[in-house]
Amino acid sequence: MSSDLIDISTRCIRCGFCLEACPTFTETGLETHSPRGRIYLARSADEGQASWTTVRKSIDSCLGCRACETACPSGVEYGRLLELARSRLERAEPDRHLARVLDWMTRPSLLRLSAALGGLLPGGEAPNPLGPGRTPVPRPQPRGDWPPYEGPVPKRGEVALLAGCAMDCLFARTHEASVRLLARVGLLARPLHGCCGALHAHNGFLDEGVRRAEALDPRGLPIVTDSAGCGGWLKEARGSKVKDLSEVLLDGGLDSDLGRCEPLRLRVAYHDACHLAHGQGIRAQPRALLAAIPGVELVPLAESDTCCGSAGIYNLREPEMANLLLDRKWRHIEATHADVVAAGNPGCLAWLQAAAQRSGSRIRVMHTSEILEAAFSGWSS
Amino acid sequence: MTASGQIGRELEAVLPKERIVADTAARRAYDSDAYPIDRHPPDAVVLPETTEEVSRLVRWCVEQSIPYTPRGAGTGLSGGAMAARGGIVISTKRLTRIFEVDAANRMMHAQSGVPNLRLSQAAAPFGLHFAPDPSSQSVCTLGGNIAENSGGPHTLKYGVTYPHILQVVLVDPSGEVWTIGSRSGRAPGPDFLSLIVGGEGTLGIVTEAWVRLTPTPQCVETALVAFPSVRQATECVSAIVSSGVIPAALEMMDKGIIGALRAAFGLQYPDGSEALLLVECDGNDPERIADELATVESISQANGALELRRAQSEAERKDLWKARKKGIGAMGRLAPSIVTHDGVIPRSRLPEMLDFVYQVAAEHDIGVANLFHAGDGNLHPCMYFDDRDPLQVEAVIAAGEAIIARCVELGGSVSGEHGIGVEKSTLLESMFGPDDMRLQRIAREIFNEGDLCNPCKVIPNQKGCVEHRRRSRGVAW
Repeated sequence: MSSDLIDISTRCIRCGFCLEACPTFTETGLETHSPRGRIYLARSADEGQASWTTVRKSIDSCLGCRACETACPSGVEYGRLLELARSRLERAEPDRHLARVLDWMTRPSLLRLSAALGGLLPGGEAPNPLGPGRTPVPRPQPRGDWPPYEGPVPKRGEVALLAGCAMDCLFARTHEASVRLLARVGLLARPLHGCCGALHAHNGFLDEGVRRAEALDPRGLPIVTDSAGCGGWLKEARGSKVKDLSEVLLDGGLDSDLGRCEPLRLRVAYHDACHLAHGQGIRAQPRALLAAIPGVELVPLAESDTCCGSAGIYNLREPEMANLLLDRKWRHIEATHADVVAAGNPGCLAWLQAAAQRSGSRIRVMHTSEILEAAFSGWSS
Repeated sequence: MTASGQIGRELEAVLPKERIVADTAARRAYDSDAYPIDRHPPDAVVLPETTEEVSRLVRWCVEQSIPYTPRGAGTGLSGGAMAARGGIVISTKRLTRIFEVDAANRMMHAQSGVPNLRLSQAAAPFGLHFAPDPSSQSVCTLGGNIAENSGGPHTLKYGVTYPHILQVVLVDPSGEVWTIGSRSGRAPGPDFLSLIVGGEGTLGIVTEAWVRLTPTPQCVETALVAFPSVRQATECVSAIVSSGVIPAALEMMDKGIIGALRAAFGLQYPDGSEALLLVECDGNDPERIADELATVESISQANGALELRRAQSEAERKDLWKARKKGIGAMGRLAPSIVTHDGVIPRSRLPEMLDFVYQVAAEHDIGVANLFHAGDGNLHPCMYFDDRDPLQVEAVIAAGEAIIARCVELGGSVSGEHGIGVEKSTLLESMFGPDDMRLQRIAREIFNEGDLCNPCKVIPNQKGCVEHRRRSRGVAW
C-alpha cells in the first residue's frame, strides 16, 4: 500500500479500460468524471501543473466505488489514490463544516437521536446537512425481535464484531442476526465499539481515519464486520486479521447448516456493495450462502456491481448524481421481479430502502445476514 | 475572460450549457488520448446527443473558423483525438444509443459513441456479435473503430472493421449530413464508405452506423504454446497457416511480455520460454474444431514447443487469454508511461525484426516488450519509460521511427491498426510515393476544405501543424 500519490498515479498508462466501469463516466460521458481523468488531474495537481482548486469538481464527483480497480489492467490502487487526493484537497481548502458533520454522523448516540427525530418529520426526510434539498432519514430497526436463540453454544472461539456507527444503531435487527450466525458457526461475537474511521479516510481526513482505525481495541481477537465500507477500510488500515462476515460464515461451514433448514420460498437478487466486490474481492461468498438456503432462488441482477449512489456520504454531497444512480439501480432491481434484494453494507441498504419506499415497491431490501438468520429462525413478513 | 471561456459561452447558443465544458480541469483532461507524448488542450469540449446537434456544432465552427476534433473514448494510440490546434473537441460519449437490432437481416443500427462490446452484448441474445474486437473493446467506440478501421485479435479470420460496416451517417466538414453506403451491403458507384472507414475523422464525423452482425461460433478451442525461441514460434505460425487451418486468433508474446506477466501477476511459463503463442479456433462443428486444434498441436510439437496448455473450460480459456490481454497492463507496472507502437511486416521476417527492435531499444536505453498479431504480421513493440524525463521521451520517438522505417524496408506498413494520427504523420511518405500522397491530399481537400476538421492528423498540411509539432510533440510531463 503506497502512501505516495505519485507512485500510484504514474502506474496509469492512460489505456482507458476503466471508463465504462465508472458510473459517473457512463452517466456524463465526461473525461473529468472518469478514473483516468481523475488520476491525470490528481497527478497534475500533485506535480504542481494545476491547482488543487481547479481539479476539485472532478475529485468531488467520484463515488469512490473502486469499480475502476476491477477493470484496471495496470493495478492502479485507485481507492488509495482518492484518499490521498482528497486529503491533499482538504489541506488546500479545508472544509470545517464537513468535518463537523462527519463527527456528528459517527457518534451512534447522535445518529440514533437524529434518526428518531427524522422519522417524525413529514415524509421521513430531513434537510440535507451537506448539500441542497432534503434527504431520506433511515428508520432504525427494532431491537430484540428475533425469537429466542436455540442454536449451538459457540465453543470454537471468539471474534470482535464491529458495532461501528450505523450497524448496531440503525440496523440492530441485522446486527443481532450477525451475532447469532457467528454463534451458529461456533464463534462468540464480542462487540467492538467505536468508529473505524472509514468515512473520514474516504473524505479527506485520512489521518483521522487512520487514528480511529488504530484506536479500535479488539483485545487480540480477529475483527469481523458486517459493513462493507468499514471492512474495506479496516483491511486497508489494519491488515489481514480483518474479515467480512460472509467470509467467516462460509469458512465456518454455515452453508451446510443452511442446507438443512426448512425451505424459504424466496426469489433473491444480490446487489454487490462496492467495497465488498471491488474493495475486497468478495462476490462469491454471500451468493454461496444465500444459494445454500433450500427454496431460495438467486436471480441475476443486471449491473449488480455498479454503485447504487449511496457511497458513504456521497448521496449527501452529490445528491443529483446519487439519485441518477439510485434510479438506474432500482430499475434493474425491479426488472428481476425478486421478493428481496440483499446487500452487505448499511449505506446501500438505507439508500435502496428509500428507493423502495418512494416507488411503493413490494421488493424488500435486506442485509444478507437477515435473510440467512431467517432461514434458521423463521421468516417474518 | 479567457479565450476558452469566451468560446464556451458562445457555444451556449448552439448546445445546452450542461453539455459544454471549458474549465481548466476539463481542458487538461482532454489534452491527450492514450498516446501520452503529444498533448494540446482544446478550448472547449462539447457532448452532442444527435446528428443534428453535431451538424449545428460543425457549422458553427466553420462560421467562426475554429478547428474541431472528434473524440470517442480516447483510447487511440496515435494521438488522433488530440486537439492539435486547440478549438473544440466534439465528444461522441453522449451519442450512446442503440436504435435497433435487426436479427433477421443480421445487422444493427447504433450511434457512434456506443462502446464496441455493448454492440456485441446487445446482439448476443440473437446468437450474433459485432466481429471487430480491438483489445480495448470494452471501452473503445464504434465511431473510433470506424475512424481507425480497427483490427483486433480476431482480425485474422473475421477481417478489420471495414467489411462489417454497411452504412454510416456522416456530418461532413461543412456540416452537411450524408448517408453513405447501403444497408444491403451493395451500393453502386464509387465506394465512398471505404474512404470514410479509416479516414481517422479527418473527412467528417460519423454519428450513426448500420453494422453487420456475425453469428457467434458455438464452440471455441484455445491453446497457449510456449517456445524456446521466436524463430520456432514464427515457423510454427507459418506452418499453421499453410496447413489450411485458419485460427480465429493467432497471437504471439515475446520474452519481454513473459517477464512482465511474471513480475506483475506471478504467471508462470516453462523455463527457457522466449515466445508464447495463443491459438484459438472457432466454429459450429465441434469435431472439426477439435481436429483443427489437434493439427495445431502436432505442428507445435514439430516446431519444438516446450509446453502446450489447452483450455478445458471457459474459465481456463479466460486464464490463457490473460497472457495476451494483461500483457500491456503488466507493463504499466514497470514504468510510469508506455507507448505501444504498431507496424506490419511479412510474417516470415519476424525473427530478424524482433532482433532489430531489441537492438534499437538497447541503443536508446529503453525497456521494450512485443505483442504480435502473428497471423497477419501486425507487430506491437511496447516501450516503457519515464515520461518526466525529456531525454527518454525523445528516445521513444526516435526508436519508434527507426522501427517503423525498418517495417517499410522489410516490405511492411507504417501502421496495422493504430492509425497515423499525429504520431506517424511524417512517416507516411516513407511508404507512399508522391503520386499516392497527392491523391490522398486531394481526397482530404475535397471533403475537408479549410482543414478545420481534425487538423494536423494523417497529412499535416498547414503552418499550425508545424508549430504544434515544435511545441507539443514529445514534450515531457
